[in-house]
Amino acid sequence: MPAKLVVDRLSHHYPDEYTGEDVHALDQVSLSVEDGEFSAVVGPSGCGKTTLLNILAGLLPHTEGSVQVDGKEVQGPGPDRGVVFQEHAILPWRTVARNIGHGLEIQGIPKSEREQKVQEFIDLVGLSGFEERYPHELSGGMKQRCALARTLCANPVVMLMDEPFAAVDAQTRITLQEELNRIAIATRKTILFITHNVDEAAFLGDRCFIFSRRPGKLKATVKIDVPREKRIWKDLLSEKAYTDPRDEILRLVREEVFDDEE
Amino acid sequence: MSVLQTASIGLQKRFGRQRLRKILLGTIPFVVLLAMWQMNTAMEWLPPVYIPPMASIWEAIYTLSEGCAGAGAVLSMQYECLFTNHILSSLGRVGLSLVIGIPSGITLGVLAGMSRRFAHALEPIGVFANAISGIAWVPLAIVWFGTGWLTTLFILLNTVFWLIFFNTLLGVRGVPRVYENSVMTMGGGRWAIISQVYIPGALPSIVTGVRMSMGFGWRALIAAEMIGGDSGLGFMIFVSAAEYKIEEVFLGVLVIAIMWMITDRLLLIPLERWTIQRWGMVWRPD
Ligand SMILES: Nc1ncnc2c1ncn2[C@@H]1O[C@H](COP(=O)(O)OP(=O)(O)OP(=O)(O)O)[C@@H](O)[C@H]1O
Ligand SMILES: [Mg+2]
Repeated sequence: MPAKLVVDRLSHHYPDEYTGEDVHALDQVSLSVEDGEFSAVVGPSGCGKTTLLNILAGLLPHTEGSVQVDGKEVQGPGPDRGVVFQEHAILPWRTVARNIGHGLEIQGIPKSEREQKVQEFIDLVGLSGFEERYPHELSGGMKQRCALARTLCANPVVMLMDEPFAAVDAQTRITLQEELNRIAIATRKTILFITHNVDEAAFLGDRCFIFSRRPGKLKATVKIDVPREKRIWKDLLSEKAYTDPRDEILRLVREEVFDDEE
Repeated sequence: MSVLQTASIGLQKRFGRQRLRKILLGTIPFVVLLAMWQMNTAMEWLPPVYIPPMASIWEAIYTLSEGCAGAGAVLSMQYECLFTNHILSSLGRVGLSLVIGIPSGITLGVLAGMSRRFAHALEPIGVFANAISGIAWVPLAIVWFGTGWLTTLFILLNTVFWLIFFNTLLGVRGVPRVYENSVMTMGGGRWAIISQVYIPGALPSIVTGVRMSMGFGWRALIAAEMIGGDSGLGFMIFVSAAEYKIEEVFLGVLVIAIMWMITDRLLLIPLERWTIQRWGMVWRPD
């Protein structure tokens, strides 16, 4: 069976209308993610991670190279690929419940069926009691959880996540990471997860892709061989199967940061 | 405890101390104005031909309601009554212009906001029309439509439509891309994006557009009625002034202001409160 996501020699340039100089964001990136695999992407700021995600989501057309999902070339956005955006994409004019049920509403699922599903995800991300609140009444972490549930509830085959936990406090972050791991076990979704945080990448990923500075190239791939069920923070911190690849990722990332200072 | 104290406590309980204070502060300038007006009549600083006594304004309602059986008929807005007739025609024009102007302004504004091609086609004519909207059209409109309903409605629509169009356009453009992207990645089509992203996202701006268009439109209407109308409050003021019936002019001006305040307070502000304030999309004054 071919991989779920296949990116082949993908490059991307943003034209610049003002200076006339193109921004070269991605350079000959090739990678693939297997069905049900959790892949993490780390790399310095501005290396093209969001660009890659937007191309996979079909929001940004690609001109050089190929991008396939389920063996089909990506041509536009679709409900098979759910996205958790770097900025919270929850609609301010919808309550928490209606935001989370939005995907099902678009799919035309009848209301009664929808409500049951929505409640399930509200409970999952711990937003019970806030169903009828509007997003501006939530804290940053709650908004993030709402955004996560909003994407999950639409039940996509592939989840593309762009630094979803960047804006939450350390405790919430740990909870959300373990929650996401549970969700990954339960749903066996194929996930591409962008992050700046090396611990997070090693904790969540089956594999971690490390990108170089702009123009973003795939610099290395690190495998993390820890069964999903064992990924609980308090057990993992001293586990060699976790710490070794984490240190390896950290080394590779540091190389990128300090490269030109030598 | 005196009756006054009881009443005061009752009011405070009913409205809340903060709000009561706000309302009271807001009425002070009006009370001052009314007092000065009354003083002027008592001291005869300016003669009644300039500033009529307050009581005569009350009487003007009756004079203007000739043929109507007393205050009851006036208040029940019977159409034969001259005064209510004027109010009704002004209100009718405003209502009609909103019924036509809001849906068409929003529709074209959304189209121009989401499509480059529509924007390129409509924006220049919009800027052109906006520059001459309002009373600059009156002479031409009289030539085209004569005096009466069509002319006044044309002036009013010209103001209302373009303001709502431009505000909707700007509102749609200001909606963060990520909302649209999020609906698209969930499989939402164009209609879902319009109805679930563009229109609610542009609503703060649309509401501003409606408020502005009511404000400007109301003024344009009064001016249009003066020159090109055959009824309405503007027309009434104009005729009364020509006949030196200063109390009728005062009455007309007061009614214009009061009706505007009523629409703003009873219609537009609650609309704002129930939508964009609820969604946390505007600054809440308190
Ligand atoms: N719409 C755009 N137009 C022009 N240049 C862009 C655009 N979007 C991104 N870029 C540029 O492309 C490069 C990659 O941007 P991208 O958003 O993909 O980075 P990123 O890896 O996601 O960074 P971060 O970790 O800070 O989110 C950056 O240099 C950025 O300035
Ligand atoms: Mg990014």
